[in-house]
Formats: sequence, structure tokens, C-alpha cells
Amino acid sequence: MDAQQIGKGKFVVPIGPQHPALKEPGHFEFTVDGEIVTGASVRLGYVHRGIEKGAENRNYTQAMYLMERVCGICSHVHATAFALGTEKLAGITAPPRAQAIRSLVGELERIHSHLLWLGVAAHEGGFDTLFMYSWRDREVVMDLLEGLTGNRVNYSVNVIGGVKVDVDDAQRDAILKGVDFLEERTHHYIKIITTDETLLGRTVGVGVMTKEQAIELGAIGPTGRASGLERDVRVDAPYAGYKDFPVRLVTDEAGDLQARFVVRMKELLESYRLIREILDHLPTGDLTVRAPRRIPAGETVSRVEAPRGELFYYIKSNGTDMPERVKIRTPSLCNWASVINLAPGYKLADMPMILSGIDPCFSCNDRLIKVNDRSVSQVWTWEDLRQHGIEYYR
Amino acid sequence: MDTATALQKAEEILQPLAQEFKHPEADRVDVILAVENLKAAVKRLVEERLGYLVAITGLDVPAKPAAEGETPQGSVDVMYHFAEGAAIITLRVNVPYDAAVVPTVCDVLPAATLYERELIEMLGVTVEGTPVTDHLILPEDWPDGVYPLRKSFTGLKPQGA
Repeated sequence: MDAQQIGKGKFVVPIGPQHPALKEPGHFEFTVDGEIVTGASVRLGYVHRGIEKGAENRNYTQAMYLMERVCGICSHVHATAFALGTEKLAGITAPPRAQAIRSLVGELERIHSHLLWLGVAAHEGGFDTLFMYSWRDREVVMDLLEGLTGNRVNYSVNVIGGVKVDVDDAQRDAILKGVDFLEERTHHYIKIITTDETLLGRTVGVGVMTKEQAIELGAIGPTGRASGLERDVRVDAPYAGYKDFPVRLVTDEAGDLQARFVVRMKELLESYRLIREILDHLPTGDLTVRAPRRIPAGETVSRVEAPRGELFYYIKSNGTDMPERVKIRTPSLCNWASVINLAPGYKLADMPMILSGIDPCFSCNDRLIKVNDRSVSQVWTWEDLRQHGIEYYR
Repeated sequence: MDTATALQKAEEILQPLAQEFKHPEADRVDVILAVENLKAAVKRLVEERLGYLVAITGLDVPAKPAAEGETPQGSVDVMYHFAEGAAIITLRVNVPYDAAVVPTVCDVLPAATLYERELIEMLGVTVEGTPVTDHLILPEDWPDGVYPLRKSFTGLKPQGA
């Protein structure tokens, strides 16, 4: 994987850490022979924050807030995975209405994430009109999320034992109206991505991954499903409200960039259907059950389907109110292998598109804070950071 | 394949290699293995196309206060989680600090390289034969022999202090 080793006499193009494809830090080295990429390597960790370690010194409620901040785009799925895992360890189950609301917010989050991706991917392809339109439409779902939870990001819907937001009739009507508008827009986007000459030129046959490769490289989520890999945790191991509101799997056989566009757009349509279904049959009853502060000793795994693919949590409790170990495996990490292995053979100019094709999320992968202070690099402790924050905002 | 069948199949094919099977939850089986059997077990699962590698989890098990006449020795649990539908098959090995070495599984599962690099730098487990051992998430100037996910790690001293 090391680009340097590929061969002398070839050119190594370093890309990043500043915004290689997205406005996030990651460092890539591409070995090129003329215009054609012959090797690729990746270096992550520029935004590693030590969240797994941090969770070991916080109680479950505090850790939940921390988990929600693993990622600013898909914060809800992290909290859901952590809450479901902790509930399993505690031997409690959240009420049906709470489970349905978890899925409802999960799908709204997926819509916002996929629309965000559509904009970024279009922008990398040089199609900024599509970027502007899709982000304009994304505001609709952001407003719905804000109306429902009070926040545009980090919705903080989950508590251990249930959820803290309810859906009233006015919110229900607003969501249904928003979804109708977005569905119409999504059909329009599907038409664009399948017919626009310029976009087709940049996506059809680019970054092709066969199903066999997808299995071997461990691709997951829409990236894997665009190569015909039938894997979706919502279908394979339904959690939260997905037991009562089943999801239809969306796959595509082509395995190229265009298929990744198509799969994500079709998943949006499936999310709209699911949201209507949930709102039409929202179970009545309580929103929470009482959860113990100390969680009995044990270990569990919790899997949920984030917008980028399967999100995996391993939680070990030791009988106290703080977890012994929390391991998070985010979907972006799995999909890097596909980029590194698929890049060779394509043009350098295709790299931003291939990179953004997996919908990479850097804060997902990187979870240590390092601050350059007067050119002396130092590592800050939690207390230093807290103090810095207090001073900074004073 | 439903969950029960998948778990049963895993037990069948791993029977000759495993030391013990545990069933912590209805959809999980933990397969306790000796380190030397780890690679063979991973190979068997891949050959049988049972599940895919979801993650490799490292878990620090610090030394308990020693009884008289014993030297306390901490260890690291390394878990390889494979998922087949809703079933989770976890291959578990335990390696002591002074011999924290596991074989690489990258020759069988190339996608494991990122997980193995994380295991090396975060928990100080040597992965024998893994293709790349560079830092993945820790900074280049991170001190040698400091592993953040070991329980004994509580922070670095600021430089110059």
C-alpha cells in the first residue's frame, strides 16, 4: 500500500491533508505514470480525538453525548448504537414508540447525509449547479430535524432506555409535507444523474468494483450495495423500529461511480416510504423505561446501519456506572480499502470523484487532540482542553 | 442462512481448532482459540464463506493484584468479529504483555490491514507479517512504547515538562 515502494522513476503526488476531496483532513499519496494512477496510500488520524479512551472515564449518560460527537453528519446512529448496546447489557428494552422514533430520526438523518453527499460528489465532478440545488433541498430536512429535536446537528434524541423527543400532529404534518417535496426533487435528481452527459462522462465505468472485490475488500453500505453486495444491517439484523417497519434492500450490479449515485438516490426514496409508514403507524405509549445507573457486568455488540454503511459497537461493562471499553468501528474505515485498491488504472483527475464516491467521513475514522501553540507542539489533557475552552469563550 | 444455523455451522467448522465455545447472547458465539490456531480458524471461515470480518477489537486486561509468590501479568484480548446476517462469530485470543504477538490475517483477508495497524499502535500488540506497520491514526512523533488504549495510559506529559 505504500506508494513509495511502487517503483522509482515514477512521480508521487501527495494530496492533502488539507481538503483532498472533502473539506476534511486526510493524506493520500498517489504514484502516477503520466496521467494514470499506479499506486495509492492513505494516512488518517488528523482529527483523532481519543473518544474510545474518553468513554472509559465517563458514565453511560456522559459517554452517550461523547458518542454522538463521533460524527457531525451521522450523530444519531452513533447514539442509537450505544443506547441499544447499553440497554442490552442492562436487560431493558425501550418502548415501541421510542424505537419507532429512533428509526424515524435515523431515516431523516440518512436523507440529510445522502443529500449532503450528492452535493459534495457533484461538486467534485465540477457540477456545482447540482451541488447548490441539492444543498438547498437538504435545508428542508435540516429544518424538519430542527423542528423535531431542536438541533440541526447532534440531535440528542436518545437516552438510555428510550428517547426524549415526541412527535406531535403538527410535526407529523410538517414532516409529511417536507418528504413529499423531497421525493419529487429526488426523482428529478435521479433523472439528472442518469441522463446528464457531463456527469455520465465522469461516473460511468469509473472506479468499478465487482461484487467479488467488494467482498474481498470488505466494502459496506451504499458503496458495497452499488456492487451488488446484499448487506444492510436494517435488513439483516433489524434493530430499533426496523423490526416493525421493514426496509427494502436497494442494490445495483454495475459497481461503478454511477451505481453509487443511483443506489444512494434510490435509498432516499426508500427512506421517504419508511418515514410515511412510521408516521402512519406510530405506536402509542411511553417514551422511556427506567434504566439503572450502574450497568451489570457483561459485553455486547451493537450494529446499526449508518448512512455510510454498517456501524459496529463493542461495549464491555464492569458493573460500575462507567464502561470498561467501547470499541467503535465506523463504516468509512472499511471503505478506504476499496479506494486504495480501486484507484490504480484510473486518471489522477478521477481521484476526487473516486474518493468522494465512498462518502468518506474523516471524523468517523479519527477519533487525540494536538494543538500547535507557538510552534511548540504539545498534547493536551482533557483538563487543559476544558480550561482552554472556558478561557476562550470568556 | 438464519442466525441459529450460522452459529451452529461456525461451531461445526471450528470444532477441531477451538478450546471452548461460549454463547453470551442468542445471536453470538465466542470461540476461544490458542494463538497458533487463530489463522487456521480465520481461513476456515473464509473458505466456508461464513460471515465477513466486521472489526478487530483489542481489549486491555490489566494485571490483577498478584497473590503471594506470583508476578502480575497483564494481557490483551484480541477479538475478530465476523458477521453473517444477524449472527456474530467472535474469534478470541488472549496474549500476555511480554508475548503480545498475533499472526496477521491480511494474507487471507486483505481488508484487515487497517484494523491491524490500529491494534498495533493503540494496544501494543505486534502483528507478525502484516504488510504495513506505519502509524495510522497516531501522530508521527508519538513516543514508542506508549499505547493509548492500555488502561495504564492516562495521558502524555507535555513536552519540555
